Amino acid sequence: MADPFHIVVCGSLVPDPLQTLEPVAGAQGPGLKNETMLPAVLDPWAGHALFEAANLAKQVAGSQVWLVTLGPKAKLQQLMMTIAQKVPFQLVVLDGTASGFADAHEVATALATAIQGIPGLDRNRLLLFGGCASASRDSGVTLQLVGEQLGIRDQFLGVDELGIEPDGALHILERVEGGQYQVSRCVAPPAVLAWATGSLPEPHNNPQVGMMNMRTIMPQLQKAKPVTVGCAGIQYDTVKLPSQRRDTRVVRDVPAADIAREIVDWLKA
Amino acid sequence: MGSVERQSMDVDIVCAGFGPATGGFMTTLSRALLKPDGQPALESRVMPGMPLQVVCYERADDIGFGVSGVVTRARALRASFPDVDLMQIPMAHPVRHEQVLYLMDPVGASRRPAALRALDAIVRLGRALHQSDHEAVVLPHIPEFISKEDGLLLSIGQFNQWVGNQLQSTGLVQIWPGMPVKEPLFENNRVAGVRLVDQGVDKHGHPEANYMPGMDIRAGLTVVGDGPVGPVGRKLDEHLGMPLGHHQRDWAVGMKAVIELPEGCPLEPGTVLHTLGFPEPEIFGFLYVYPGGLASAGIFVPSWFDSPVRTSYRYLQHWMQHPRLWSYLKGGTLRSWGAKSIQEAGRRGEPWLVGDGFARIGEGSGSTNVLTNSGVDEAWFTGVLLAEAVIELSREGLPYTRDHLERTYVARRRASWLQKEIEIAEKARDGFQRGVLTGLFGMGLTGLTGGRLNLSTASKRPAERIPSLETYCHQLFGPAELAKLRADAAQGQRPLHDALMDRCGWPPIVPDGKLLISHQDALLLGGKVQAPAGYADHVEFLYPNLCEQCDAKVCIEVCSGQAITPGGTGGVPAFDREKCVHCGACIWNCSSSRPEDPERGNIEFRAGAGGLHSSEN
Amino acid sequence: MSGLLLILHPLPDGSLSKSARETVTVAQTTAQALGMPWCIGLSGSATQKAADALAGTGAASILAVAGADFDVPRYASDAAAAEALARQSGAEIVLAPASARFSRCLAGVAQRLGGRIDTHITGLEVNGGTLRARRWYYRQRMEAVFSRAHRPWFLLIDGGIATPWQGPAGQAAVTAVAVTLADDSRRTTVVGLQAPASDAQTIRPDANVLFVAGAGWTKKQADGQPHVGEAATLIRGFLGKAQASLGSSKSLVDLKTEGQQTLDFMSHLNQVGQTGSTPRHPKGLSTCCHGEEPHVVGWRFIGERRAINLDPNCGWAQGKADVVYVADAFEVMRNVNAMLGAS
Repeated sequence: MADPFHIVVCGSLVPDPLQTLEPVAGAQGPGLKNETMLPAVLDPWAGHALFEAANLAKQVAGSQVWLVTLGPKAKLQQLMMTIAQKVPFQLVVLDGTASGFADAHEVATALATAIQGIPGLDRNRLLLFGGCASASRDSGVTLQLVGEQLGIRDQFLGVDELGIEPDGALHILERVEGGQYQVSRCVAPPAVLAWATGSLPEPHNNPQVGMMNMRTIMPQLQKAKPVTVGCAGIQYDTVKLPSQRRDTRVVRDVPAADIAREIVDWLKA
Repeated sequence: MGSVERQSMDVDIVCAGFGPATGGFMTTLSRALLKPDGQPALESRVMPGMPLQVVCYERADDIGFGVSGVVTRARALRASFPDVDLMQIPMAHPVRHEQVLYLMDPVGASRRPAALRALDAIVRLGRALHQSDHEAVVLPHIPEFISKEDGLLLSIGQFNQWVGNQLQSTGLVQIWPGMPVKEPLFENNRVAGVRLVDQGVDKHGHPEANYMPGMDIRAGLTVVGDGPVGPVGRKLDEHLGMPLGHHQRDWAVGMKAVIELPEGCPLEPGTVLHTLGFPEPEIFGFLYVYPGGLASAGIFVPSWFDSPVRTSYRYLQHWMQHPRLWSYLKGGTLRSWGAKSIQEAGRRGEPWLVGDGFARIGEGSGSTNVLTNSGVDEAWFTGVLLAEAVIELSREGLPYTRDHLERTYVARRRASWLQKEIEIAEKARDGFQRGVLTGLFGMGLTGLTGGRLNLSTASKRPAERIPSLETYCHQLFGPAELAKLRADAAQGQRPLHDALMDRCGWPPIVPDGKLLISHQDALLLGGKVQAPAGYADHVEFLYPNLCEQCDAKVCIEVCSGQAITPGGTGGVPAFDREKCVHCGACIWNCSSSRPEDPERGNIEFRAGAGGLHSSEN
Repeated sequence: MSGLLLILHPLPDGSLSKSARETVTVAQTTAQALGMPWCIGLSGSATQKAADALAGTGAASILAVAGADFDVPRYASDAAAAEALARQSGAEIVLAPASARFSRCLAGVAQRLGGRIDTHITGLEVNGGTLRARRWYYRQRMEAVFSRAHRPWFLLIDGGIATPWQGPAGQAAVTAVAVTLADDSRRTTVVGLQAPASDAQTIRPDANVLFVAGAGWTKKQADGQPHVGEAATLIRGFLGKAQASLGSSKSLVDLKTEGQQTLDFMSHLNQVGQTGSTPRHPKGLSTCCHGEEPHVVGWRFIGERRAINLDPNCGWAQGKADVVYVADAFEVMRNVNAMLGAS
């Protein structure tokens, strides 16, 4: 049996995937139109990381899971109504923007500072989890930046599987080019694991987990520290929606063979 | 997998459904849970030393999903928040300007009675003398009983989110969305709590990997606020029956779009338009203008619309394109979309309000005022009244028995302004059973006489109101042509309604890619409809032979999300959970009654997960 | 701090991947537009061979961290090599291809050098002496053009945005950069690579054309019967002949979970759209798919778009495709396959 892990999951909220998004220019840089009104979900990749963390903690007795999150407090509170039913975790809240336009470096510094302040966190048993990218900024760098700031030099990106070997080593599968997995072995924590989708289904909503989580989550939300992160030093010249509309030619009442010929010619052109 | 143990949890009060009624209940109750020194004022029975443990389970994936825009006089809301500026709620705005528009038929396909045709002709003739603009006439006077001149415009999605966040931030009550309640737990004619839906099951409800039987939430009081199509309320009605003389036969499906108005649109925030006359005389419409260039616009298709072609989406598109409305909406963009069933039986649809261990609040409790077309404020108020009753009983240390709830909750309700007003309204819509003109006359009579005079008439069950397609179409074309249209639709596994409406003379909808978009685009771009995996289908066709004998298949025609489609065999329709918006229209749009219960159709509508994901509705 | 550095990982045989050569083109044009010198940094055991291959690029110098330790795609050693190259070059702009390897390590290097990093760069342009980068946000929902004041600025360049550099090999002078790996840099051992599952083989990221199958393939056809077997034959036949990548609408792969008769070689891995993937291909052919918006957003990076659908009012006809053929896809694809087979 491996020694207990201290698993810190970094993750925040992103707009619910089917929402209509439109950029607007603000004093602090670009943002989303009606950003405060858009329904939000836990970033999907961070969600996978959280579920993997909870699963690992369940397997390795004594392990603990923290979710460190940066977002507007009111929206995080609403998000907790959904995800706190899923798996047990402790919450660390940073009250600030969850904008995709905030600089990953500023976000990483805020997260690293918060992690360093977690009471009782054993940095030698630390597994830093998060998504391999976010559905907002989609930079795929934030977790590595946090890891560097915490001095962790074993980092993995696009992880789909983590196994614990009998000697406590980490057995890791990372997505690489060509649909392949790179298989690595890391002797022990600390390590950074930026998750892709993993292999676990989304946990069910469990009312007992929800009741238990909320006893610690609400006090954390109530004492959430405001943090300021933005995009200092970045000049956004334009942020635009792509043009989708094309001038469609509709071909009808033409024999299938003629259509096929046109398609073949087009494919070969 | 069948051996997985069902878990159970004890709380003091469990609420089914988070809407305005439960919002009013939890808001009022949460303020009384603690003393100023932080000690419990109302002590929990399940966790001694702690305040009452109050938890609410909401079916939708978030607390602001799947509801509607509303204009309300907001008397009860304002009373609950006397020191709060409700304008801080996104999209809220005071009503500034209200009009009732009579829309003439510019298309010629509307099935208007002769009297309305005559009226249209007179109006057109008199255009030179009377103000008539874009085929519409502004009614010179709005009866007081309809007017919302001093009211508020709200997005109930945003309002629910706001209320829910206020409640959660107290840390005193819990609201859990994405957790459908399957049914009440009956124990010796007492409701002992609720059972949540099973998770980790296939579409038929069979356990799969990760099966988790729905947990039993045991509670001293079950607050039933899951609306008119909610499974807990409907199970209670099945179990207890309705009080003598009460029924829930009158319904409407409200379908609406939230529209980003085009630049230059002259409508000011706070504008409220009510429409009647088009696309069919039975279909009423509304348009509310919010701040930020947004409008909520939609129609109501009622159960007394004696047509099997009840395709709300197509009718919504024709309604929006009425020249008067199109002059405002053309160039606009659809931001959100949704649909909801409205219980229009009002006070007459009131079920047993209380019993041992349960109390009903909100629309499902018959609180909607069908004369003033107002339901949200009334629903909120029922929640407030129940909370006051619970506070009284808890202080007295009394259990939530039928007698105690009668003495506290029901008595408060009977003595309230709500009761007086819904009693006045009770028969206001009876006239619609005999047609739209009789109905309008009846409403006017009730409204203008304060309910002293009514045009009362016997009601029919929804199934009895649906004519066959042959009957509906016989004036326009014969059975052979209908049979061909029907066969073509079955062949293509498409609903029949578009072909029928085309044949009835409705022009094709020419998409503009912004507001006039396909039904499926509206579903996904507007409603953002989603359904999580691992839950059973919540719509079931109970007796396949009834479906096989049914030619009308109104369930397919009315389905707001095209979730019900012709089945592979042409008999029993197919259901696609991922497209369902949970409007519940299929409940009251089945032309086949169940053999064991003529009040109910052949469709079982259970607790289901997923649905709309738009909070701007 | 000045100049531009391009960091590359040569393959073990000293050759360079297509994306690496694309980034060479980007580095050349960017350095020229900025009017700054540029150099190349290599790490691995075959750096001299790679440097010789790059001799004609015009790079002012080639730096190399050499040794078998740096063949291993491992964060600690890759980051150490890239850090050394960046420090040695003193570059203010550092480019690299957006490979899995650089995506893993370069953010940490930027952090060590007090720099900033941006990824998924789909374009670089220089206006008035200012370097501007282009990339997408919110899952390809909006595109931004921006610049940064901070230096060094690391940029990971997405594939497919430039022509791969090609030029004659030469004899390059390589400046060795010494890196001594600390013991704790070897805590991770790379065991090897694991091949993808066979059912993912019909996804071909490098294909010229994306073929999307919609739910219509499994529906009843003109004779009142579904023809799923023939649909599978036609689709697989086309994929083989055209070397196309296979995509799907959500509704088609959802049918599988609902237990309906469907195409067993397709799964949610093939799903294109809002809740699926957003692949990049020069051409896309949609068949039996209605072209609703949530699916079509997954076509953002598909260049030319054509669709075959029986419904002339389908979503594709509403400005979402260049050409819509109103026809029976079974019949058309039978002909297409025959013609491709004959050619």
